[in-house]
Amino acid sequence: VTVSDLAALVVALPIFGSLVAFLAALVRSKSGWPVAVAATAAQLVVATTLAATAFRDGKISYVVGGFEAPYGIELVVDGLTGTMLVLIAAVSLGVLAFARRAGPRSNPFYAVYMLLVAGLTGMSVTADLFNMYVFLEITGLAAYALVASGERGRSAVAALKYLLVGTVGASLFLLGIGYAYIGTGTLNMADLAVKLAANGYDATLMQTAFALIVVGLFIKVAVFPLHTWQPDAYAGAPDTVSGLISALVSTVAAYALLRVVFTVFGTAFLDANALAHGLLVGGAIVSIVAGSLLAVSQSEVKRMLAYSSVSQFGLVVAAISIGNVTALTGAAVHLVGHAVMKGGLFLTAGLVATETGARTVEEFEGLVERSPVGAAVFGVLAVAMVGVPPTIGFAGKWYIALGAAEAGAWTLLAVIVGSTLLTLAYFARLVERMFFREPPADLEPAIERVGAVTDGGDEAAGDAAGASLGMYAAVVAAAVLAVALGFVVFQYGDAMQPTIESLLS
Amino acid sequence: MTDITSLRPLAAVLVSAFAVVPILASTGRPNVREGWTVLAAVCKLGLVASMVPAALRGDAFVTDLGPFVPYVEFTLRADALGLLFALVASLLWLVTSFYSIGYMRGLDEHGQTRYFAAFAGSVSSAVGVAFASNLIVLYLFYELLTVATYPLVAHDETDEARAAGRKYLAYTFGGGVAVLAGTLLVVHLTGTAAFSAGGIAGLASADPTLARLAFALLVTGFGVKAALMPLHSWLPDAMVAPTPVSGLLHAVAVVKSGVFGVSRVLLDVFGIDLVAELGVGGVLAAIAAFTLLTASVIALRQDNLKRRLAFSTVSQLSYIVLGLAVGGAAAAQPGDAAKWALIGGLLHIPAHAFMKLTLFFCAGAVHVETHTDDISDMAGIGRRMPLTMGAFAVAAAGMAGIPLIAGFVSKYFLLVGTVSGGYVVFTAALLVSGILNIAYFWPVVYTAFFETPERSDEKPLVEAPLGGYFGTATRADGGQPNGGRGASSHADGNSDSGHDHDGGWTRYAPDGSESTWFMLGPILFAAAGSVVLGVVPDAAVFLRIVREIVSAATVMGVVL
Repeated sequence: VTVSDLAALVVALPIFGSLVAFLAALVRSKSGWPVAVAATAAQLVVATTLAATAFRDGKISYVVGGFEAPYGIELVVDGLTGTMLVLIAAVSLGVLAFARRAGPRSNPFYAVYMLLVAGLTGMSVTADLFNMYVFLEITGLAAYALVASGERGRSAVAALKYLLVGTVGASLFLLGIGYAYIGTGTLNMADLAVKLAANGYDATLMQTAFALIVVGLFIKVAVFPLHTWQPDAYAGAPDTVSGLISALVSTVAAYALLRVVFTVFGTAFLDANALAHGLLVGGAIVSIVAGSLLAVSQSEVKRMLAYSSVSQFGLVVAAISIGNVTALTGAAVHLVGHAVMKGGLFLTAGLVATETGARTVEEFEGLVERSPVGAAVFGVLAVAMVGVPPTIGFAGKWYIALGAAEAGAWTLLAVIVGSTLLTLAYFARLVERMFFREPPADLEPAIERVGAVTDGGDEAAGDAAGASLGMYAAVVAAAVLAVALGFVVFQYGDAMQPTIESLLS
Repeated sequence: MTDITSLRPLAAVLVSAFAVVPILASTGRPNVREGWTVLAAVCKLGLVASMVPAALRGDAFVTDLGPFVPYVEFTLRADALGLLFALVASLLWLVTSFYSIGYMRGLDEHGQTRYFAAFAGSVSSAVGVAFASNLIVLYLFYELLTVATYPLVAHDETDEARAAGRKYLAYTFGGGVAVLAGTLLVVHLTGTAAFSAGGIAGLASADPTLARLAFALLVTGFGVKAALMPLHSWLPDAMVAPTPVSGLLHAVAVVKSGVFGVSRVLLDVFGIDLVAELGVGGVLAAIAAFTLLTASVIALRQDNLKRRLAFSTVSQLSYIVLGLAVGGAAAAQPGDAAKWALIGGLLHIPAHAFMKLTLFFCAGAVHVETHTDDISDMAGIGRRMPLTMGAFAVAAAGMAGIPLIAGFVSKYFLLVGTVSGGYVVFTAALLVSGILNIAYFWPVVYTAFFETPERSDEKPLVEAPLGGYFGTATRADGGQPNGGRGASSHADGNSDSGHDHDGGWTRYAPDGSESTWFMLGPILFAAAGSVVLGVVPDAAVFLRIVREIVSAATVMGVVL
């Protein structure tokens, strides 16, 4: 077994895990969780090995079934892919720690959970455009099913909406691939890039393909105004699921956007087509501003967090539209950072709901007395999200803003830097309520925690009603990572440089 | 100029940050908790002070933590300018820690653990601001300072406090955004954000329009915390915080971090020569002059003592900015005008810190002992609190620039600087502001010592309708008319407030029985500090540090 075989294993492993989790129900019910943990832990090992190799030795390539590259399906792991693989595995494992108590606990749930991991991993490693579509659909279907796994009618409605809108997105993506195939006769990304250049960047067929693919992925990323599925899905899903999909699904879709724009179409295409470039810039600016404004006006915490994602992915799209080394490094940093912070925030919202039943902005009043750990973690993650240094939230923003300055994109620079204030606008509302208001008077005494320390002492936390140690561990880990990752960004950026440079060449 | 690699700057920053953990852990044991605060404060002061001798020789201690983000190293560097700010902040933190104990316990405040923890975090950030070696590290600590002080502003958990907290966050994070944008421009223009004495070399050859834009963004951003008008309005509102917070943070650490940022931008990013060349020094000086005059006029009409002090702070901070800006504007001229103005401006950082801290401490002590907040209720209070109001009188005289007190020395340098540079307009502004200072402080001292609730005089300058004879009968600040003063305003006074209900104050001897020594000690220390700075400025270390900074920053290089 060589390292390049691991590129295939990393996709096969979660699919296998999914099957085992499903079949294990025949032997014993509620046995899905340990299977999922084992599979994701193994997945993390494989992903880390792959990423380490890719960073050390450069690109890893694997051809499925022994067919030669432009015809067969190629899997490629470079620094960017490695980053996504580790992120997917690590976040899935972290969310599992939360899911143990928070549920859902049925075996089919964990089977679908692993299927989602497989879809996301496949989207990341594939170097074939049609194969990417297949994994996009697997991801989508698994995500619809997970959202629907909630017990309330609301989950079902949200999942249906997600299904309808998501399918439109995937179909547009497929249509775009079709146009590209008609124009070039190939589906391999690297091969497409070559033939595309030979065809000329002003070919209508290619411009159409670009527009369809980008708009299709915009839907999956939830760029305003194509975001409408997303707040319902995030808010309607069970807490475990919102944590997982908010951290990973849009993230991998944004990765796909980055990959397709630069590996398939390339910077020269963007330079030659002002409209294509404008599509990205416009999507970014509108998303950043509108997402924040919508977030401010939400009364439900999870919906607010969902709109916050609309705004944050605007930053990533902005980085893609800038398209230089610094900005794209920023995109990678922000994808990771956002996943950690937003996943952590959704899980914390779930933890708070478990402990106190609070789900709306109003109910968060005086939260620090009822759920000290929840309030403290939420506070740290909110500060990181606003982009206060030295957190990861700042690092991503700094790279992207610096890239904008290098490229002379002054409008974007102003929006990116100003987005700090927009983010502050919606988080300050919550932080103020959590720490500086008395809890609502009509609270049932059962969930009042007598004698709780006001500063987040960990020793008092373990015995809280309903919340398990794993739930605490998951959210505290997110908060610690949000700060700690800020200190290793420079080394990461250095390691990413060859990957990004080859992406841009 | 040698750099000494050492962990001392890092340790000085972190010591109070680490103290946050034991402070939070000893929630139920207030004496242990405050022990940690005092221990951290002593260590911090010791660490900072130990670096001063090297700075006076022109050397600097440096902690290099390696690269942080592209173009930027995470480096802390304790140079003379940084030490000036760090020394003021850490010395006064120690003093304020004792005062906080007396104040918070005297009022039996809620959330004391959060208060002391946030306080320790704030001072850490302030010293981080001082030792930052480049714009990004400065920005980092500048933002952390905002985060750490927010719980202190919103401490009361009333609607008013929360509104003040929101305003505080909006203003200061808005300023942070401007700083970040300005920093990005500087990095874009020069490829570095690191401070260097005399300015970053690459900026001089950069596009002047972009350089001016960067200057405007940076100064606007730091100007928010420096309370330059029209960005000042968060500061009077933040007075809703407990008085030690108003004293140390909103007269020393937070606002001075803004002023400090401005001085870094002028001295170490652009350099005063480039500031003169770009012609931005005069603009900044004009804004500062406008602020110091307008704020003084507004201060006249504030009846709430802390609000009056807040507007006084707005005004006095602009003295510092004015000195720096005139230093920048006059750099191109022959002669020493720039040097004088810079010395005056920078020396006003410690001078104002000592005096204003005294004033706030006095206001807080009066609040704790008698629950009196409005000046119109303070007639005769000098009998009740002789030492406190005596210290208040000394510090107020210093604010107005009366000789033998700290304010005189720095203002003298400022006046010499503006006159010799030919900026007579600014000289006039400084003098008029000095008169206004007397006009708004003297009534406080007068009412405390020479009036009783029954026998008080008209105070035409601070109470008469604006517009004189033709003005309306309502007061500009919407306060209650004079008739409302007296017993009715004392309705909240509790039994031991020392206020006998016939209208007079119980007389206390000036022997410390008027309050607790936890408060009186710090008050007298700060007042004594302002006198020492005024009588023997050269013996106090601050003027020597300032001279070291200025000689490094000016091309003339002659040590005065």
